[in-house]
Amino acid sequence: MNITQSVELSLREMWGHRFRSLLSMSGIVLGVSSLIATFSLTAGIEKGVRQLMTEVGGLEMVTVVNKEISSRMIEFWNLSPGRTVRDAYAIKRSAPLVSHVSPELTHGVAVSADGGDPLRVRATGVWPDYREIANHELAAGRFISDLDVERAQRCVVVGWEIAARLWPGKDPTQAVGHKVFLNNDPFTIVGVLRLYERDEDKRRREIKEQSAAINKKPPRPAPMSRGRGTSRNWNPLQQKNEAVLLPFTTLFYQFKSGQFPDNTPENVPLDNIRFRIADLGYFQQAIDQAARALDVTHRGVDDFGFDTREEWFGSMEAGLRATRLSGALIAGISLVVGAIGITNIMLASITERVREIGIRRAVGARTRDIFVQILIESVLISFIGGLIGILFSLVLIQILIAISPDRNVPELQPFTIVISVGFALLAGLVSGIYPAWKASNLDPIQALRYE
Amino acid sequence: MAVISLENVKKLYKVGDQEIRALDGVDIQLGEGEFASIIGPSGSGKSTLMHLLGCLDTPTQGRLEVCGHDLSRASSDLLARVRNQEIGFVFQSFNLLPKLNVRENVELPMIYSGIGGAERRRRAEEMIDAVGLTSRANNRPTQLSGGQCQRVAIARALVNRPRVILADEPTGNLDSATGASILEILRGLHREGRTVILVTHDPKIAAVTPRVIEMCDGHVVARP
Repeated sequence: MNITQSVELSLREMWGHRFRSLLSMSGIVLGVSSLIATFSLTAGIEKGVRQLMTEVGGLEMVTVVNKEISSRMIEFWNLSPGRTVRDAYAIKRSAPLVSHVSPELTHGVAVSADGGDPLRVRATGVWPDYREIANHELAAGRFISDLDVERAQRCVVVGWEIAARLWPGKDPTQAVGHKVFLNNDPFTIVGVLRLYERDEDKRRREIKEQSAAINKKPPRPAPMSRGRGTSRNWNPLQQKNEAVLLPFTTLFYQFKSGQFPDNTPENVPLDNIRFRIADLGYFQQAIDQAARALDVTHRGVDDFGFDTREEWFGSMEAGLRATRLSGALIAGISLVVGAIGITNIMLASITERVREIGIRRAVGARTRDIFVQILIESVLISFIGGLIGILFSLVLIQILIAISPDRNVPELQPFTIVISVGFALLAGLVSGIYPAWKASNLDPIQALRYE
Repeated sequence: MAVISLENVKKLYKVGDQEIRALDGVDIQLGEGEFASIIGPSGSGKSTLMHLLGCLDTPTQGRLEVCGHDLSRASSDLLARVRNQEIGFVFQSFNLLPKLNVRENVELPMIYSGIGGAERRRRAEEMIDAVGLTSRANNRPTQLSGGQCQRVAIARALVNRPRVILADEPTGNLDSATGASILEILRGLHREGRTVILVTHDPKIAAVTPRVIEMCDGHVVARP
């Protein structure tokens, strides 16, 4: 008896018991569709998280932070000048594994244009390298240049949201070249950053635009966020949209000079120093190089540390893994349940077919023929169940997209289709073994007598 | 040369602590082309004997040879092959598969001997024609009368051209006229040179065969 005949016979048997076959498939259908759906769901979440990670600078971005001095060095605390722009120069000169470095000096300012209401924001003075460090992308214009820093030019790069609020209703990219006032001093906008939004914000915006189009009312502007920590849902991308970036020197001379004696751009205490590591493969070596450079500028006082985002990203990765695992676990359980269901139905079907098996044995079927027959039947049930499951999952994914507009959009992963059908076949194979073994070991004499 | 040969064959069953001797030293030689009946009351061991002759079972002791195969300690695969190639079964209750039509039922033994689709169909139709059921070839067994069913079963038994036909109470479920026609078919097979063995409890049916093997309590009691 060859495979084609067995397959034909099995299909016939399944067709003869359509409803029963469909019932026994249901577990596999649910298992396969939930497997594909959860993988798509986590793929959507993962994509969103990874996008967020790169947009906020990725793992390559490291911040130099203040640290409590160890007891060994505490008596020498006043030897260290603290974080100054000299640190940035030192890292730039003597840490070749660091590709970009920039000091950060911030100042609260009121931004206004054309006599409109001022916006209260924090302006940040930076070097041109800051663009690469923070992964800023420009929608229009240019970033701050070395010449801007050298000459302390009155130029400014603003986030999308700032431009949108200064000139409501206008295209923010048109802001380039226009004048803005920071604390009443005129500045020229040289660049506008692109709009950063998470998937959920994007979908919310689209919905809002649609409803606005229907209601014919301009959307009410949301209040400006107060940045990290104060808003309930901290959104790192919001900081990029509300950025006001000046040349480092400009910010110092405009807002910080003369605040205390001997105050120069070289020894003003910085709010931050950030740098970007050239190659993640040499992460620790790069940190070590930066640390040695800072040891010199801080005269050996260990009042600085490095804030890497390994931990933060690590916990995000762990979260993703947990989501994926729990999804796979649920799908796996339903596949196991499906397999048990098939075993159950096959056992019932065998009991019904004892006499048939006896007749087949009497006319010359070997134990192997019966075994293969039953096994093929259960594999076919699970295979067809798997195919139905794929169709079902496509519908399921559409439903998930429809009912959760502010989540990360599920993305169908083609490889999960292969994997889940593979698992379905495996489930069919495993679930068929016991019934097949039982059927093939029936004593032909007993089977022929069976009523 | 004997087609079937049994030498001191014993078949023992254990029921609890008790040992039942279903066959207790049976010697039978059946030659090529013989027409014999096995007769005996229930419990005489004739069913057990038939299972051994039909290669559905192996003896506990003694030597069993069917068509040149020593089946005293045969594997289940060898038994299946001998059943498929050398034995044609005709049962009292026909034992046709209700889900298959007449032609598919007749094709069944050939499926297990690996004969291809076209050849299988041709031979099945030939056999159905020989038993006079060509017009019912696409009917299910449930749509046939008892006599027609038994003729389908005979067609199925013959389709692999076996040397031995084993009929277990073939007329038991039929009225006497139909039964007589079935016996006539079996007698025809004997005339064609096949070895036909009839298992029955009815001496009148046994009387049609030249040789009668009478069983009682696991022994052969008469060997004319």
